[in-house]
This record gives sequence, C-alpha cells and structure tokens, in this order.
Amino acid sequence: MKLNIDGLLVYFPYDYIYPEQYSYMLELKRTLDAKGHGVLEMPSGTGKTISLLSLIVAYQKAYPLEVTKLVYCSRTVPEIEKVVEELRKLMDYYTKQTEAKNDFLALALSSRKNLCIHPEVSALRFGKEVDGKCHSLTASYIRAQHHSNPSQPVCQFYEEFDAVGRQVPIPPGIYNLDDLKDFGRRKGWCPYFLARYAILHANIVVYSYHYLLDPKIADLVSKELAKKSVVVFDEAHNIDNVCIDSMSVNITRRTLDRCQTNVETLQNTISRIKETDAAKLREEYSRLVEGLKEANVARETDMYLSNPVLPDEILQEAVPGSIRTAEHFVGFMKRFLEYLKARLRIHHVVQESAPQFLKDIYEKVCIDRKPLRFCAERLRSLLRTLEIADIADFSAITLISHFATLVSTYSKGFTIIIEPFEDRTPTIANPVLHFSCMDPSIAIKPVFGRFQSVIITSGTLSPLDIYPRILDFRPVTVASFTMTLARTCLCPLIVGRGNDQVAMTSKFETREDFAVIRNYGNLLLEMSAIVPDGIVAFFTSYIYMENIVASWYEQGILENIQRNKLIFIETQDAAETSMALEKYQEACENGRGAILLSVARGKVSEGIDFVHHYGRAVIMFGVPYVYTQSRILKARLEYLRDQFQIRENDFLTFDAMRHAAQCVGRAIRGKTDYGLMIFADKRYARADKRGKLPRWIQEHLTDGSLNLTIDETVQLGKHFLRQMAQPFRQEDQLGLSLLTLEQLQSEDMLQKIAQIAQQA
Amino acid sequence: MDEEPERAKRWEGGYERTWEVLKEDESGSLKASVEDILFQAKRKRVSEGHGQVRLGMMRHLFVIIDSSRSMEDQDLRPNRLTSTLKLMEFFVEEYFDQNPISQIGIITTKNKRAEKLTDLAGNPKKHLAALKKAVDSTCVGEPSLYNSLNVAMQTLKHMPAHTSKEILVIFSSLTTCDPANIYELIKTLNALKIRVSVIGLSAEVRVCTILTRETGGSYNVILDESHFKELLMLHVKPPPASSSSECSLIRMGFPQHVIASMSDQDAKPSFSMSHLDSTGEPGLTLGGYYCPQCRAKYTELPVECKVCGLTLVSAPHLARSFHHLFPLEAFQETPLEEYEGERFCEACQGELKDKSVFTCLACKKVFCVECDLFIHDTLHCCPGCMQTDRTS
Repeated sequence: MKLNIDGLLVYFPYDYIYPEQYSYMLELKRTLDAKGHGVLEMPSGTGKTISLLSLIVAYQKAYPLEVTKLVYCSRTVPEIEKVVEELRKLMDYYTKQTEAKNDFLALALSSRKNLCIHPEVSALRFGKEVDGKCHSLTASYIRAQHHSNPSQPVCQFYEEFDAVGRQVPIPPGIYNLDDLKDFGRRKGWCPYFLARYAILHANIVVYSYHYLLDPKIADLVSKELAKKSVVVFDEAHNIDNVCIDSMSVNITRRTLDRCQTNVETLQNTISRIKETDAAKLREEYSRLVEGLKEANVARETDMYLSNPVLPDEILQEAVPGSIRTAEHFVGFMKRFLEYLKARLRIHHVVQESAPQFLKDIYEKVCIDRKPLRFCAERLRSLLRTLEIADIADFSAITLISHFATLVSTYSKGFTIIIEPFEDRTPTIANPVLHFSCMDPSIAIKPVFGRFQSVIITSGTLSPLDIYPRILDFRPVTVASFTMTLARTCLCPLIVGRGNDQVAMTSKFETREDFAVIRNYGNLLLEMSAIVPDGIVAFFTSYIYMENIVASWYEQGILENIQRNKLIFIETQDAAETSMALEKYQEACENGRGAILLSVARGKVSEGIDFVHHYGRAVIMFGVPYVYTQSRILKARLEYLRDQFQIRENDFLTFDAMRHAAQCVGRAIRGKTDYGLMIFADKRYARADKRGKLPRWIQEHLTDGSLNLTIDETVQLGKHFLRQMAQPFRQEDQLGLSLLTLEQLQSEDMLQKIAQIAQQA
Repeated sequence: MDEEPERAKRWEGGYERTWEVLKEDESGSLKASVEDILFQAKRKRVSEGHGQVRLGMMRHLFVIIDSSRSMEDQDLRPNRLTSTLKLMEFFVEEYFDQNPISQIGIITTKNKRAEKLTDLAGNPKKHLAALKKAVDSTCVGEPSLYNSLNVAMQTLKHMPAHTSKEILVIFSSLTTCDPANIYELIKTLNALKIRVSVIGLSAEVRVCTILTRETGGSYNVILDESHFKELLMLHVKPPPASSSSECSLIRMGFPQHVIASMSDQDAKPSFSMSHLDSTGEPGLTLGGYYCPQCRAKYTELPVECKVCGLTLVSAPHLARSFHHLFPLEAFQETPLEEYEGERFCEACQGELKDKSVFTCLACKKVFCVECDLFIHDTLHCCPGCMQTDRTS
C-alpha cells in the first residue's frame, strides 16, 4: 500500500499494516528530518525491519541529496539475511508499482569465511584460517612476486576483480551473501573484495556491528562511508557491551608466549632480509620519517571515519626515532614483552589506571609513552615491509601492540586489572591482564560524530533514557511503542511465593535455601503439567543452574517433571547446546513436549527465537544480575558513577532487567503467537524492577498478578492457555491491530495511533 | 446434560477469580476480549452452513477418549473423565438421533496403549453401556495418539469410499507417547481420506494442530464444561463430504412395527435378533420390527440386519437426517439500538438484552441470541413460522 507519512510517500509492500508500524515510521521520519539520532523501542514481531526499510528507502528516493546511504547493522548472519529478504520484497513492490527499473544497489557484507569462493580457501573451517590464507594469496607483495615468479600461487578471483572489477560497477539490485557469491562465480571475481568495494557506492549496506564499532575493522571497511548516511543499529540492547568488548584487551600467559615466538620470527626475518635486501628496510625508515602525513591529510578533509585507536595527535608526528629502525623496534617489543611477563608474575590482584601503568613501565624498563603509542602503526608497517604472508600467525603480537597503543593513548575510561588466578579456582595460577574499557562511548563516538542520523532500535531498550547517557549522545527522538493486540496474547506473571508461603527469590542469602529450591522445582513441575509443547526456563548463571538441578534430582522433582516433558540443558559447549536445541524442537514438534533449561546471557537467551509451540511459556528463575564480584564490573560501576552520575544499583538493575526482558521476550515473536511469561522472584514486583521492563510487557502486568503463589499461577496459566487456544483468524485482528489503508486513514484511528508512541 | 453435576466443595475447587469475569474492559475496544471473538465464531457457524454442500450422511466415526493420568484433573466436575463420559453418553444419543444411518465406535488410550471399547456399530445401547462401565476405570500413564489413531485406522480403511470416515479425539493430556513418527501416520490418514478432529481439554498442542489441519478436521480447546458440550455437539452435524468421495445407492429396508396385542391368540412371544450376541436378559417380546427381506425380528431401529445385512431404518429417522440438507435459513442480525418494536424474544419470552437481535426473514419474528442458536442447532425450524403456518 502507499502511505502518506507526514508528507512523504512511502511504499509499503504489504496489504495490511500494524498501527504501531505507522507510528514508528512517523517518529523515524521526524528523526531524519531533524538530521539527528534516535532511540526507538518496539516489540519484536511487529515488523520493525520492514518499517525502517520502507521509510528510509522512501526518504532516500524523495531526498536523494539529503540521505545518500543506509547502513543497516545487525548482529548475526541469519539476521542479516532476513533484512536483505525484506528489502528484496520492498524493492519488488517498488518495481511493480512504479514500473520503473530499479536503480538501487543494496548488498550484505560479511566476513571472508562467508563470502569466499576460492575452492581451497573456502574449505577451511575457521574464520581466522580463511582470513590468513586469503591474505597469503592476495597481499600486494605476493602479487608482485607472482609477477616475477609465476609459480607463486595467487587467488585468480582476486586478480580478475582487480583487473576489471573496479571499472565496471556491480549492476543495481539486491544482493544477499549467496547472490554475491553467484555473481562472483559468474564473473570470476572475488565476492568479498567486490562487496567491500561496492559498499562505497551502494545505496544500502547491511552488515554486522563490528564493521562500524570495532576500530580495527572499521578502519579497513567503513572509513570511506559518506557522511550523509543513516546508520541503524538493530537489536541494539547490548550495544554498550559490544562497544566495550571492541576496545578491551585480555592478555594471558599464552598470549605472551605466542608473542615471544612472533618476535623471534620477526627478528629472524629481519636479519635475513638485511643480508638480501637492505634497501627495503632503508626505504621503510625514510617513509617513517615522513610520518603518517597521508592519513592526516585524509582525516582533515573529513573523508574518513576517524579511528579511535589512532588518535589525532600521532598523525601529525613522525614515528619516534627509538623505534624507527626495524631492529630497534623488535628490541623495544622484547623489552615490553619482558615487562608484561614480569607483571603477570604476581600473587595478588593489582588494579591500576593507565597513567600509573605508564609511570611504572617507565621506571622499570625505561619505556616512554610516545613510542608505545606508535606501536600498532609501527608493527603494521613492519609486517608490510617484511612481506609476511600469514598474518593470522601474528595475532598475538598484534594484540599486544594494540594494547600498547591504547594504554598510552587513553588516560581516562580504561582500567588495568591483573588477576593471578580465577576466583573459582584460587589454587591454579592462571594470570590474566585485563585492559578493560569502561566507557562504551569511546568506541561509538566517531559513529555519532560522523553520520547524520544514527538510529538505535530494539525490542527491549527500557528504560530509554539510560542509553543516551551511557553512550554519551543527544538523541532528537526517544520513543517506545506498544503492541496493539486483538487479544491479550502475552501473560506476564510474577510468582513471589510457593504454596507454603515461603518467598521465592534467587537472592544471594537464600540461594542455598532448601525451601526456595523446592519451590522453584514445584513451579516447574506444575507448569510442565499445564503448558503444552515447549517451556524455556532461564537461570541466572550456569553454577546456579547446576546446583538447582542437582538438588532437584535428589529430591525426585526431576523424575516427576520427566513424566510430563523431556528435559534439555544448555551447556557452555556450543556443539552440545545446538544438539540439545535440535532435540528440544523435535520433542515440541511431535507432541512429546520438552523443557529447555538455559541461562540468561547465554547463547539461547540472545539469539534463539522460540516461536509458537517452541515456547509456550518462559520461566525466569531469579533476577539475572551480572556477577557483581567481578573486578572489571566494579571498576565500570565506579566509572559510571563518577562520570555519568549513574548509581551502581540503577545500572545493575537496568542490566538485569534488560536481560530478563530479552529472555521472556523470546517466546512472543508476533501477534499470532502467545506465551506465558513467568518471573519467579518476588523482587520483580518492586517498582524499581518492574518499571524497567519494556512498556509492552509492563502494560499487561496487572496489580493482581504481582505476588502470586504457585497455585494461583497455575490457575491463571490454565485459563490463559485455554483462551489463547480458541481459534484466531486474521479477520479478528483487522481494524484493531491490523489495518487496511482505509482503516488507517480514518480519524479516530489516527488519534489512537498517536497514543501508541510514548516519548520518554 | 440433564442435571448439573454436583458442585464440589468450595475448598476443593481451584483458585478462581470470579470478580474478573464481571470486570468491564476499561481499555475500550482496543482489546476485544476472547469472548467476543468466540461469540462471532458462534454466529458464523450458523450463517456458514448454508451453501449448497454435499454432506457425508453415512458416517463412520471413531471416538478416541484419552484416559491418561491427566483425566483425573478436577477442573471439570467431578473430574475430567466422569464429565467427559457423561457428555459422551449424551453425544452418542444425539448422534444417532441426527445420523440414523451412521455408526460409531469408541477407543480409549492410556498407559501408552490403545484399547477398543466398542467396535463400529449402529446401536446406541451397546455404546452407552460401555461408557457407563468405563466410569470406574482408573486413569494411568500417558496416552498414545499414534497407537489409538492406528487402531481406528485399521478398521476405517476397510469402509466403503462413499461413507464419511471420521475420528474424533478427546485429548486431555499435553503429551503423547508414540512408538513411531506420527507425521508418517498423518500422511497415511490423509491418503485414506480420514478426517481427524480433536477436542483438547487443556491447551493447544502442536501435533494436534498439524493433525487436524492435514486431515481437514477441526481443532478446538474447551474453556469450560458448557463450552465442551457445545464443541462436542458440533460433531453431531454431518460434515461436508469431500468432492472426491463416491456416490452410490444404498439398499435400505423400512420395516413396519407390528404390534401384537396380548389378546391376539396367534401372537407368540419371540426373541429379537439383537439379543443373539448380548449377554443381557433375553427379553421375550411380542411385537417388533421385521426385516422386509428375511423377516428377522428386531426391537429397535436403526440396525443392520444380522441375517441379510440390510440397513433397517424407520422413515422418521431418515426424515430427520433430511433437515441437514435443507437447513433453516440464517436470521438477520440487527443491533438492539436500531430495533424498534417489542423487546421480547418470541421464543423464550425473555427480555432482549444482548447487543443484537435476530429476525426470521420469513415470519419477521424476533429472537434473542440464545434462542437463535437453539433454533438453528436443535429445532431446525422456526417456531414463528410454524405458528403462522397453522393460523393461516
């Protein structure tokens, strides 16, 4: 249908539209008009993706000079593929309606592993191996060698692409990963490099977060993206953690050992080259004297997305003399490595700030701050000069050099924690140096600074005001949308007590309490008897789950549960978990019924959807607080309090509740879906917890269902499930939660729609 | 049901929120309640069945009754099993009342096994007796959907193609214990054109959804006892025959009831043929129905003659199944506000209070919702029209 969104003609590829989609598009339009950033929360299964795409594409078509590109960031490859499929539908609709030829280029980009078509390289199993092998076939010096010595193997796909691929633009259309591969095979071009090149002039790019947030990758892939782009982060409820992870470095003894080997290899290569080709090293030296001027010029003209790892100052200077020659640099790295080794040889926990660390390193081994800063750049240059083929081998030394650069660049927002052993195993020495970023805004700052509009959206972003605070940006629109429903298909219940009136909670003090564990067991047992097909239960941590399940086994509860349903357990082993998941789905499918015991923050809670019968009930045992004794977390909390005035407790609750919301949200994936959401902890009833749930869950949480016993829960659940099992057709939704174009244009519907969005 | 099941003691009952039933929906029309949707569906049923469809009048129906552990649940009074069996008795009577030339069979499943309670037969007596006896059986273990469907299929697959082959499952449990892949069985059922319908007693189970969707049956889940009865009664009406089913002529006999008075000296008391295999008291009776072909005597109709295999029915029986083909036309629905006239239902004389009223298109008499359903589901003729017919 064709919609009029605030004066903009939007093509929407479906015959019906949800009212909240309309409202969402209105807000989005406002954000784009203001050229600002936005935070939008809308429940999953209400068609967020298609609303985003239709509006932004329409905007691009209407104002081609205002918005030139859409950068859509998603989390996983399946999600990326889903977005591309929606986009394809939209574009087909455009061609059908306007009968003009499609001139849009949209493509997905993923790692080499997913895009490689080289017969040998693509057979490799791990991403790192593929990257390394690819590099060894496509690096510039390898190709130069190939020129003089044809027996040197190169990748013919890359050669072909390099020869002609850049001149001929890829024809407009929608390309998912498979399409790119097909296209590459047809032309004999490398799809990966083709995609990397094509994103520069593509209208829509769909790729993973990391291509924009991880400074190491962003520098390679995304730095030339146009300023007038709209960036969308979908499923962005964890964006702060992604930012932090991309800037943090963990160094173990193993890393150092491997680094040691790297240094030795470097040294050998240098001495070898010195004998054969000393001119090359001299050439590098003079280039370094020139400095990194090129990069500096580029940044000044604002062509590039700035790289937070490479701060502005160092671009203006030449590489310091002490590490300018190759031997000196290797010697320097050796000293640095020895120092780190010494630091890891401790028996107590050390926590210090970056300046303290720098002072210490200066006193102990006389390493200055300045050369440290250039470490990453210097290493890159050296690797280039030495023509080392297999970059993958050098990941350890690259990591160390990144650490050196980061620690000397940022005095604020980072902390260094050295732990001699893990807390759980205090007898086994396993020293780790955590260089931990505490400020997610550092990684994302260039993105906000550079692009015209950045949209952060997800099904669970509540409370909305906290994201702008921790990411340090100023949004123009902040809104939360509810789900309009023809029938109340979600049923959140807070179970606070067992039938014996003993409070149910995963609070630390009562965690081991026999009565609490028994009540949790009874709850699961009772639910297994009334809920059909699949139940997903979440625990707060693996250890807690193990303890409880062991205890249930002893008490015979597990046996009783197994009479009703099969039980599957998520473990830390990915292969085991995916096996369990597969069997779980099979059991749901053929009527046996199953329970999946899993862990909040685990793989299941984040990426797996339990549509329809795969998840008729979700039980959240306890409040999934993060492990509060972790030193990294403590440091981060302290930082948040000092810098952003966010109290520890607020942040912890926020973090716990967003994970709880993610977990229970797994079961409802659309309006025809239905499911029970059971929060089994009396603390959920408190206003500070409840208030942090997304609005679409909160509004169905009545006062009467705040502190239920198991019995009451069973009765309510039974009633709910029977109601939901009544036949439900699309006609029942029409006019209420599903609109035709005429219905949408009626006066009172527009009024109702205005209420759907709640500005925070 | 004739009598209300005796109410359990208050403390034996479950936790109920009686006040919530009375509560008005404050959020207005944004959230139409499930009841509304149900009501719409009810109406739809009445107005739907009026196309010119061929109905499978000769039905072979197997009812599978779940007798697993979950049937002991007390959310139906006094428990699910007793309540179900009682409704089943009612169903069997009604079924033969409306489908005189059809047959029924009953299968129970518990402890992962399926057991045939009664074979396919056209005589309600035997079924009723079996159902009465089943009340005392204990409910144990898990049901097996596969096994019970398989048992039903083994019999049904030999039935002639012109008959309507149906299975009705009353499924209380949420799990099933199957020896093999049930999806294969569903395919076979589909190929044999056996229609499977399910009435769930607790919640929607995925495998039942698939089962009914694939075989063209219906799947419903009960809300409470009265809803249960309503759903069960839906299966009394013959389903539309699939267009591919054959047509054939069926030989039938219409035996006359010979009443021999005691005064008649020639009359000798004799046994009925139906007593041949029953262990009940052998009643010597005077009169009865005599098969027009072989003169075998029966006391009850409809029945299949034991001697010559002729289907014996009475003319009124056949006439009764006739109304399915010419159903009463749907009444016109008008909102109460727009309706002007006496605010009394023509049938029950009660006040019209519901949102809408229903007018018979022929006689222009007005009825309330309940009466509208009653007239269409049970009476099959409009009381208003009958009255005018007589007076005119």
